[in-house]
Amino acid sequence: MTPTAGLGLKPQHYDEAQARLAQGLWFEVHPENYMSAGGPRLRRLAAIRERHPLSLHGVGLSLAADADPDPAHLAALKALADRFEPFVVSEHLAWSTWRGVHQPDLLPFPRTRAALDRIAANIGRTQDALGRAILVENPSLYLPLAGHELDETEFLAELARRTGCGLLVDVNNVFVSAANLGYAPEAYLDALPARAIGEIHLAGHGADEGGSALLIDTHAAPVSEAVWALYARLVARIGPRPTLVERDDDIPAFEVLMAERDRAHAVLAEAGA
Amino acid sequence: MTALTDFQDAFAAALAGDAAPLGPWLADAQAPGLSVYRNTIAKGRVDALAANFPTVAALVGDEWFGAAAALFAREHPPAGAALLAYGEGFAEWLARFPPADDLPYLPAMATMDALRTRALFAAEAEALSPDAFALEPEALAAARPRPHPSLAFAWFDSGLPALWLAARDNDIGAMTWNPEPQGILIVRPAETVACRVIDAATHAFLAAVRDEAPLGEAIGAAAEADPDTDLPALFAALIADGVFVGLGDA
Repeated sequence: MTPTAGLGLKPQHYDEAQARLAQGLWFEVHPENYMSAGGPRLRRLAAIRERHPLSLHGVGLSLAADADPDPAHLAALKALADRFEPFVVSEHLAWSTWRGVHQPDLLPFPRTRAALDRIAANIGRTQDALGRAILVENPSLYLPLAGHELDETEFLAELARRTGCGLLVDVNNVFVSAANLGYAPEAYLDALPARAIGEIHLAGHGADEGGSALLIDTHAAPVSEAVWALYARLVARIGPRPTLVERDDDIPAFEVLMAERDRAHAVLAEAGA
Repeated sequence: MTALTDFQDAFAAALAGDAAPLGPWLADAQAPGLSVYRNTIAKGRVDALAANFPTVAALVGDEWFGAAAALFAREHPPAGAALLAYGEGFAEWLARFPPADDLPYLPAMATMDALRTRALFAAEAEALSPDAFALEPEALAAARPRPHPSLAFAWFDSGLPALWLAARDNDIGAMTWNPEPQGILIVRPAETVACRVIDAATHAFLAAVRDEAPLGEAIGAAAEADPDTDLPALFAALIADGVFVGLGDA
């Protein structure tokens, strides 16, 4: 079965995810939540993997840190990839671990040519360790940093060209970053190399509860109509790609999420998936 | 030192509260985006601790737990991205945390939560069935039972294990603090984690097994801890718990 639209797998939905069959349905997990010697979570994931394609979407490799990827983390990721044979392994254009401290977030950095060299090397090390290409996702951004030498789209395209990695385009992150930093999301999406794009993410965002004008990539709400429109526009340009609906907070019933994933599936089917 | 290293040092300082070093990259030290990152990181750490210490969180409530966990996380941030075992030292930290002075049972609750979390993610192993122990008495006494990788047990000076079990079951009515010493047994032979209160004889038996003593010695230790204990029943209960995964030779 070719994966079309999938859902981020949540523990409260294990039973339904295992039982549900739908054309093109697949699931994605953060490998960090399964990096254990054993336990019921791994058992459930194995049972779900028997019936559905799976993607491993890392949040902790810290590719944009000015340091080599942690060998223990890479080994744990490889063990999961070897066991579950995911159709995609992805990570973020961000850093989270620095000088032995892990910050559970996806942190920004100045996109300099030196950073490009470092991150390309880190992606290369990761791909060598895993024995496969990965996809790299655009982050949501909240700070107007100075010192960038490349646009994010140039930076991502150059990483793909140098390392052979693909791109995971999070349309909600594009929308949030564009709103926060003041650029046009359409132009951003148009600038990405279509051939490198291997997966698309959709999620919901919200206003900053801290009272600022920032949009926050909360994953706590349905996908917004503005993001659906950008998604349709992107798929019309590049063709169908496996698409994930992510929800990590205020998680509704499984069928509510399935309705969103069915909407993405319909967009992909229309585009010829 | 490269510029990226400089940036990451400056950003880490900004996350900890000092945005001045970030000046070359960020003109506004009060930029609201910094708070977004700080809040996300704090929430990620507190959520991980709440997942790993659910009984503590339930007993003190979200607000108290969130404040305490955020302080602990600032002093003891996670070293890696896999947060399944995050919170080592939380029980000891709570024991020194002045606002917890009125909650003297709390560190023990954290200790048992941590043992249970560790059992939840321990390696798989098949528990021995009672048939495996059908040996000649001499061979049985000399055999060294191997404990399940998920096995955890501990002894407390008072009835904290029963209190922890009642709190886990959200059975507030049963939450009385029995002054009698008792132990806790935690093991996950299959899908679910089993937890029960154990007596001194069972604890002595398990301690001997953990120290790789032969079965005869472990039985002796149990009898010494409580001469009145029903040894066959004690042993049968542990087999039923799925505590043993192998029998090594003497």
